[in-house]
Amino acid sequence: MALPRNCAGMTRRDCLQLGLGTVFGGGLAHALRLRSVAASSDAKAPAAKSCILIWLDGGPTHYETFDPKPNAPAEFRGEFSAIPTRLTGVAFSEHMKRLAAIADKLAIVRSIRHDQGNHGAGNHYMMTGAPPRIPVGCGAFVSFHPSLGSVTAHERGAPAGLPAYFSIPEMSRSGGPNFLGAKFAPFVVSDNPNSPGFRVRDVALPAGLTGERFESRRDIRVQVDRLQRIADKAAGDPAAALDEHYQQGYELISSKQAQAAFDIHREPDRVRDGYGRTNFGQRALLARRLVEAGVPFITLYEGGWDHHKDIFKELNKRLPSFDATIAALIDDLAQRGMLDSTLVVVLGEFGRTPQVNKDAGRDHWSNAMSVLFAGGRTPGGQVVGATDVKGFSAVERVLSPENFASTIYRKLGIDPDKVLYTPQGRPSHLVSDPTPISELMG
Amino acid sequence: MPSFPTPTPFAAGLVLLLLALAPVRAEEPAFRLSPANVVLRGKADRQQLLLTGTVNGKELDRTRDARFQSETPTIVAVSADGVVTPVGTGTATIIATVENQQIRTIVKVIDGDRYAPVTFDKDIMPLLARAGCNSGPCHGKARGQNGFQLSLLGFDPDFDFAAITKEARGRRIFPAAPDHSLLLRKASGQMSHGGGKRLAPGEPGYEVLRRWIADGTPRTPSNTPALERISVLPTEQLLTNRAEQQLIVTAHFDDGTSQDVTHLTTFQSNESVIAAVNAGGRIKAGPLPGEAAIMARYMEKFAVCNVVIPLPGNVPADVYGKLPRNNFIDGHVWDKLQRLGITPSDSASDATFLRRAYLDVIGRLPTAEETRAFLDDKAADKRTRLVDRLLERPEYADYWANKWADLLRPNPYHVGMKATYNLDSWLRDAFRRNKPYDQFVHELLTAQGSTFRSGAVVLFRNRREPDEITTMVSQLFLGIRLDCARCHHHPFEVWSQDDFYSLAAYFARIGRKGTGISAPISGGEEIIFTATRGEVKHPLTGRVLPPRPLFGKAAAIEGERDPREVLADWIVSPDNPYFTRVIVNRVWADLMGRGLVEPVDDLRATNPPSNGPLLDALAVDFRKQGHDLKKLIRTIMTSHVYGLSSLPKDRNSADLRNYSRHYRQRLRGEVLLDAVSDITDVPETFTAMPPRARAMSLWTVRTQSVFLDSFGRPDPNQDPPCERSSDSTVVQVLHLMNSPNLHRKVTADGSRVATLAASGKSPREIVDELYALVYSRLPSDDERAACLKIFDEKGTTRRQATEDLLWALINTPEFVFKD
Repeated sequence: MALPRNCAGMTRRDCLQLGLGTVFGGGLAHALRLRSVAASSDAKAPAAKSCILIWLDGGPTHYETFDPKPNAPAEFRGEFSAIPTRLTGVAFSEHMKRLAAIADKLAIVRSIRHDQGNHGAGNHYMMTGAPPRIPVGCGAFVSFHPSLGSVTAHERGAPAGLPAYFSIPEMSRSGGPNFLGAKFAPFVVSDNPNSPGFRVRDVALPAGLTGERFESRRDIRVQVDRLQRIADKAAGDPAAALDEHYQQGYELISSKQAQAAFDIHREPDRVRDGYGRTNFGQRALLARRLVEAGVPFITLYEGGWDHHKDIFKELNKRLPSFDATIAALIDDLAQRGMLDSTLVVVLGEFGRTPQVNKDAGRDHWSNAMSVLFAGGRTPGGQVVGATDVKGFSAVERVLSPENFASTIYRKLGIDPDKVLYTPQGRPSHLVSDPTPISELMG
Repeated sequence: MPSFPTPTPFAAGLVLLLLALAPVRAEEPAFRLSPANVVLRGKADRQQLLLTGTVNGKELDRTRDARFQSETPTIVAVSADGVVTPVGTGTATIIATVENQQIRTIVKVIDGDRYAPVTFDKDIMPLLARAGCNSGPCHGKARGQNGFQLSLLGFDPDFDFAAITKEARGRRIFPAAPDHSLLLRKASGQMSHGGGKRLAPGEPGYEVLRRWIADGTPRTPSNTPALERISVLPTEQLLTNRAEQQLIVTAHFDDGTSQDVTHLTTFQSNESVIAAVNAGGRIKAGPLPGEAAIMARYMEKFAVCNVVIPLPGNVPADVYGKLPRNNFIDGHVWDKLQRLGITPSDSASDATFLRRAYLDVIGRLPTAEETRAFLDDKAADKRTRLVDRLLERPEYADYWANKWADLLRPNPYHVGMKATYNLDSWLRDAFRRNKPYDQFVHELLTAQGSTFRSGAVVLFRNRREPDEITTMVSQLFLGIRLDCARCHHHPFEVWSQDDFYSLAAYFARIGRKGTGISAPISGGEEIIFTATRGEVKHPLTGRVLPPRPLFGKAAAIEGERDPREVLADWIVSPDNPYFTRVIVNRVWADLMGRGLVEPVDDLRATNPPSNGPLLDALAVDFRKQGHDLKKLIRTIMTSHVYGLSSLPKDRNSADLRNYSRHYRQRLRGEVLLDAVSDITDVPETFTAMPPRARAMSLWTVRTQSVFLDSFGRPDPNQDPPCERSSDSTVVQVLHLMNSPNLHRKVTADGSRVATLAASGKSPREIVDELYALVYSRLPSDDERAACLKIFDEKGTTRRQATEDLLWALINTPEFVFKD
């Protein structure tokens, strides 16, 4: 049987034996050298090779993060004070200490707003750059358009064997591929990299099974797999989706890069401690390892930002480590010379209401939100746009989710005006307004 | 073929022309002007006319092809688009000319020479909605815009009346010089307005507002007829690709009068690629075949026009006439397919039907012996007998209770383990007895007693506040989603906050005694009883709301009676169509792979079923059969439609919602895990369960299983609780491929593989056995020959060959899917 060649001239069978049968000692750098052979050489190099999108599900408050309103009355201002940053005249909220210290590397956009005030719809709008076509409920998981990650996977691809789009530790509501198909769905790593025994489940052959035996089983599988697939893509045959997952799964277990990237235990303690020994901290570190391996899009999904109650109490607990992890990620990328080629974005579906409610919380508010950008040649040390003095609404340089999505696509070398076709032949623009946020483009 | 009319000389030429062009003989079109009997009241009234031409039984909107003319221009005028407006008072005739035919209609005008007084509720409110003033992003949002706030989508006329006429010291309105009113200057863009220009002077909308201000902004007089409903014409329309159709929206008032409100209506399509709609209510079909629902909203009422764009090409009518009709389901499905020009797939093979039926009724695969027996059975009625047999199997109860547990299973960290177990047992018992569904729901809703003794009461330990019980009960048992109405009027439904909290009031008198929630253990006992008092208040007005059902009538709550009993009576009553519709839709979706309504628990006018008559017929039949779930399952499974193949033919591959073929479904996690255990003969070991327990018998998500979590088992401890996922993922594929547990099941001593390998069976018999176990069929000669080669390979033992073949079979879609 002639096996297809990849991994710089080795057969799949060699790969299996190398990756799974022997102790892999070459380290990530070695894997990266191997990868560079397979990596595509685009004539027009994009600004960013990868994007780490940190999704704060529930809608993070703009007041208590990057858009404090120290001069607003107490019922709007909230309990936290504003602190200065490295930038003259720019303040963050008090828990954003480490990010304030590296504000010269950040661009904060304070003026993205939209009209979708519930989680299902807000998630869809920000995750895809397209508003939901019909009204959707708050708890809805809807998909009318491919997500940023799926489009990136579709357009950019990944090194052989690695999924191009990861979502950790779960998929965001509208983070799916829609009409692009299962091949571009995120690979979800639900295992916790902060646990001592962390390994990505089932990507290695079970003990006692040789690579050779596995290959021969695979040949048998081809022989017995006779369920007729429905050729017309419009039929949406789920068996065809399984085929794509099967192919991806097979490539994943054959991939040394993947195995190496997942092995977070290779990181020195100093680095692991730097990201914070929290679930989120170690996931951020895993994301950096995936970027090193060449993965173009990683979503870090962080739930629990829907602070209708006790927002100050909750954020006192949560924000310090959140601030530390994101700052550590950006610092680490910068130190490794990777920040220029890695775009880091932090956001949720919307901001939160100006007036603190009776339960000491803030509710959904899509008229204003703050989004953090760093890396990917984003000019740092700037704030784009502004909200009014009480933080009600974006008033200066008002921007849309379409502008947001177009910025990410442009950075990744994807034309936001590109037209993709659904299996039914319907044309679909990636983004209806393909204008990126010019200040961020450098 | 209908009789051919005697042609006039001109029409004969036309007919000849048509004959030359058309593949079938065309009849002369018949034209119709609608609506009939138009009555206009007051100078501002108007009526859109529709000219419909019928050719070969197909209706076409020809309004824009016609020339309209008023025969009595002193009484009425008519625009080129067919809009009739009053000029004087009296009776007039409108003539529409098309293709040399003249079609007439009579219009009666009452008080045509003077304006009827403008009313705030009927004239101004819809205008604000249509111009988008009160939408979420503008003045309708919770704090208004620029200090001017209206109720979201205009559901609170009192509030809006005050906002316009009284707030800001009345400076929004200037009756002495209406054109200088802030309201008009902003809306017409004469003053800077964040929302831009919404109305232009001279436009009817602007003029109505102007007259209302000039009249002194009167509130609606108390004797004004109230709006009862709106209707849209047509309600169903077949269109060809790129064809257009004008809609007419009519408001019906409680004094029997009606009025054309097309120009005051807001329109929206749920599938604008298939059929888009413009602000004037004109539908335009897109380039693709398909279906769309066009929603029309006027004030707080909705109406829907369902648009169907059939597949181009002709299917002879007798194709449908010859299709089998086992019961009423088939007729309804064929009718719909005929309308769409879709033809159904062939019947599935016996083996496919067998596997499908086992999985659907009892959630497990047939044994190898059961498969052989069914395939060897030559009786004509063997499929029906199979369904009947399966419905009597004990596994039925566990499988269907497991599905219901997804919907009702409480959070174990919240209610405690004993309570979790009790509710699970109650569910299994209900399905074991085949408890009539109305009784099942009634018992759940009215449960009283200890969480340590009764399972049904646990619902009220898990959900404690009247509003959270209400949203769950209405979504689950009525298919009505009320979440939106908690905070504001449901934006695409008729439910208001009043409706929501009045319904919640039925749960206001739930008493609780004992140990409350003490997460994460919450092990205590709690008693649920009917308290003597308890009330629900409107969150904004603070008004105490007496219990009231969402629609229709419920009995008064007398004396000591538990309000929940009155509510339960209302929910299960024959007058409540939602109750049966949502359950038949749920069961239908389980068996057919897709609900007539999707999502299955979101029944509303603006989310119409793909086959309304079928949904109604199933609901009626279900009630007639005494709410017997087994009978419902039997009815669906003995239809011809249920037994269709999943493979499309030339005219149905893109059909994803009309059941012209079966839709493949991935097996549920529990079904797959049990199937793997059965096939390998290596049972799973679960914590806190007896040996050889099946995944289907698990009663809490706290029983760990990586397999079940990978395959989408829902976790009630998440907020909001996740729904079960039926997608396939790379993670699942990898789990079947590589997980140590699966490896163990395939290779363990004492496993099926070990037993087969050690037996005296020939390789051929082993191959046949594995095919029967995993695929519920026997291999073809070709497949068998290919598999036998594995056994011949040098250096491969019988055991290894059997292991490898079994692994390969489990890792294919034919195993993972119900076909």
